[in-house]
Amino acid sequence: MGTKFNLDRKPVPDDEINSHKDFGELVNKFKKQSIEKARSDVNFLKNKKATYSAIIAGVAVVCTVTYFAVFKKEPPKETANDKIVTTQQQHTTSPENKQNKAFIAPPISKLNVPYTSYKVKAEQGASIKHKSNSKIIIPKKAFVDKQGLDIVGEVEIKYREFHNQADIIASGIPMTYDSAGVQSHFESAGMIDIKGYQNGEPVFINPKKQITVEFSSEHTADKYNMYELDTVAKNWAYLGRDNSLVNKKQLKPNKQSDVKMLEKKESPKAQELQKQIDAIPPKIEAEKITYTQKVNQLPKTIEPNKPSKAIAGRPQFQLEVNYKEFPELQAFKNAVFEVGKENKNYNSKLADITWSSAEVSEGPQKGKNYLLTLKLRERVEKLIVYPALTGADYDKALKSYESKFADYKNLAAKREADEKRLKEEFEAKQTALFEERKKLKEDQVQANIKYWQEQQAKLDEEYSSMGNQEKVVRIFNISRFSIYNSDCPKNLPNDVKINPIYVINEGKSISPSNIYLISHSRNLVYNLPYGQLPYNTNEKYSLCVLAKGKMYLCNKETFSAITTAKQNKIPLTELDANVNDAADLKKAMGI
Amino acid sequence: MLLDAVHMEFSPRYHHTADMLLDEQMIIEAAKQNPEHFGPLYDKYYKQIFGYVYQRMDDKDTAFDLTAQVFLKALTNIEKYEYKGVPFASWLYRIAHSEVMQLFRNNSKLRTVNADISDLRNICEEVEEEYMEQYKGILMTVIKDLPEDELQLIELRFFEKRPFKEIAEILNLTETNAKVKLYRILERVKKTLTKTSK
Repeated sequence: MGTKFNLDRKPVPDDEINSHKDFGELVNKFKKQSIEKARSDVNFLKNKKATYSAIIAGVAVVCTVTYFAVFKKEPPKETANDKIVTTQQQHTTSPENKQNKAFIAPPISKLNVPYTSYKVKAEQGASIKHKSNSKIIIPKKAFVDKQGLDIVGEVEIKYREFHNQADIIASGIPMTYDSAGVQSHFESAGMIDIKGYQNGEPVFINPKKQITVEFSSEHTADKYNMYELDTVAKNWAYLGRDNSLVNKKQLKPNKQSDVKMLEKKESPKAQELQKQIDAIPPKIEAEKITYTQKVNQLPKTIEPNKPSKAIAGRPQFQLEVNYKEFPELQAFKNAVFEVGKENKNYNSKLADITWSSAEVSEGPQKGKNYLLTLKLRERVEKLIVYPALTGADYDKALKSYESKFADYKNLAAKREADEKRLKEEFEAKQTALFEERKKLKEDQVQANIKYWQEQQAKLDEEYSSMGNQEKVVRIFNISRFSIYNSDCPKNLPNDVKINPIYVINEGKSISPSNIYLISHSRNLVYNLPYGQLPYNTNEKYSLCVLAKGKMYLCNKETFSAITTAKQNKIPLTELDANVNDAADLKKAMGI
Repeated sequence: MLLDAVHMEFSPRYHHTADMLLDEQMIIEAAKQNPEHFGPLYDKYYKQIFGYVYQRMDDKDTAFDLTAQVFLKALTNIEKYEYKGVPFASWLYRIAHSEVMQLFRNNSKLRTVNADISDLRNICEEVEEEYMEQYKGILMTVIKDLPEDELQLIELRFFEKRPFKEIAEILNLTETNAKVKLYRILERVKKTLTKTSK
């Protein structure tokens, strides 16, 4: 094809150009074209059916399956060799395929990572702490409307983060990167999606301001770049090197130490119970005092002394006794005091002496004997003496004693009964208080266990959200609401390539529309086309596929067994119906 | 050669304020819902697209037909268009370029380059050579013999007077890449002119 060069050609006048403008005609053409396209689509399918019918001779089964796949939308029943052919044909018309045409296409909508909504007063700005510990810093007057005018009032920020392979798959955000025609796959240190609205209308970031997201990333390596998703070019736009790592040891967790610290803490309820426990011993002491006092108040019993009969031949003294001082001798009025055998110092000469004084005091056996002190000038003699009666005095004294002893016995029995009752009452109260203390101690232990369990659950949750890993902060400076990531491109694995056959229950094979090869050695998902499945022998993988709106998994153990055995039949398990979000998906994938 | 030095007056067509871009976005979103709302975009860009198409051919009627075809394609595919803060025009120019190239491939229509003498003077100025009458023919020959992608760069920059940002977006290049490519073309042009003047 040659090229002609015109110099100084006359321009076409505006009038002439405008005379060819006909918007109505354009719209009519568009509508006509749309109708024709719709008809041709139907004809295309019919022609396709006819074409297949013509070829039927040798491959009747294939055509029948295709017919049903296209028109009836029922699962084809096919042989192993037919599957790929029929399913690939099905891809051209299935709704699933239409969905795949969307640039961002979550494979299962219920698993998609939800936005968290924050309200911000535009004129004040805000610093928002996201549940992941990321921080969104919005300066004052950060938003403009479509006319570029400052927005005042409440703005809704919709924000979400993607941290792991499950988040990536669930979001449907493409993670392939085309650089100068070379396609690579992103290993991610984390990704954010941020939007702004006022009254349901999108708002825009003031060109003079920036929103900063301090993203809490679980991936600490310093090898990532910043990218923004360009939905026009349908590619990621390179923004620069991610040099934003700060505070690298920011959230380095030590769960064991935290748990130990936690176990040293008393629960508030346990502390309250301890006060009640501490009040028990004083109560017991008070009861004891009360008991003692009551016992002491019981009438005292003094056993009367049985009168002794004077024994003929034993040395005796006759004494004048002050009966007020020794009331027990009242019964021994007119008694004599016999000298006890224990008085080794006694001799009969003592009886011949006229003593200047004689005193009787309490003897070694109270109420039984007495100490007789005899004095004459410097001489002092002490004798243990026993009171004794003779004749009628003894009889009278014995009678009196017997009467008093009877009274004494009655009183003593009563006192014993009262003492016993008081003791039992005290012991019962003491036991009750011991029981109360025991119960309080048990309650205290339970309260602490419950408290520790609650606190540990919180700690677990906290650590779970931290991923139990060292975290770093990555800074996204945002001038436009969009999707940003901190990633580094990786090539497809290339050690081994297999032609996989994906099988579900009872060996039935399926042809997936989406195939995600999940690296467990990196935070990386390869979104692969239907065809050869590549992998590296030194890396761990699992597999997630989507077929007819259902998600299936092949866990890393199974995948590893397949690659070790060099098989190409990949058994898949349908995703459990209880998997309701990306977090569930993460667990199901064993990430 | 100072590619950033502006010795010529550039087309104001591409200069959009943030407001204009946002207004445009609203219209595009409305047009996605109802083709009748495409009108303002059609009015706004009709002349520019026609100018771009006609710049590359001789036949005015064909240029009008092709312009209509460009807008029909745009309307048909507007669902796929996603706003990224650049004028809708870039997308239309890409469609127009594709249609023009398709026309030249399918028909015997001649690829045409249209320029003014002043444009050739600008090229000389850019390569720091004083314009001489004898250069006119040399420049026309050198330019029309350029490969299509290089010719595009010369056309967009010197004959249509577009800023690098717009050129980069129409050709799906980075600004730096567009500058580097143009610099290399101009170096060759300069060599040719220097050789001739001796």
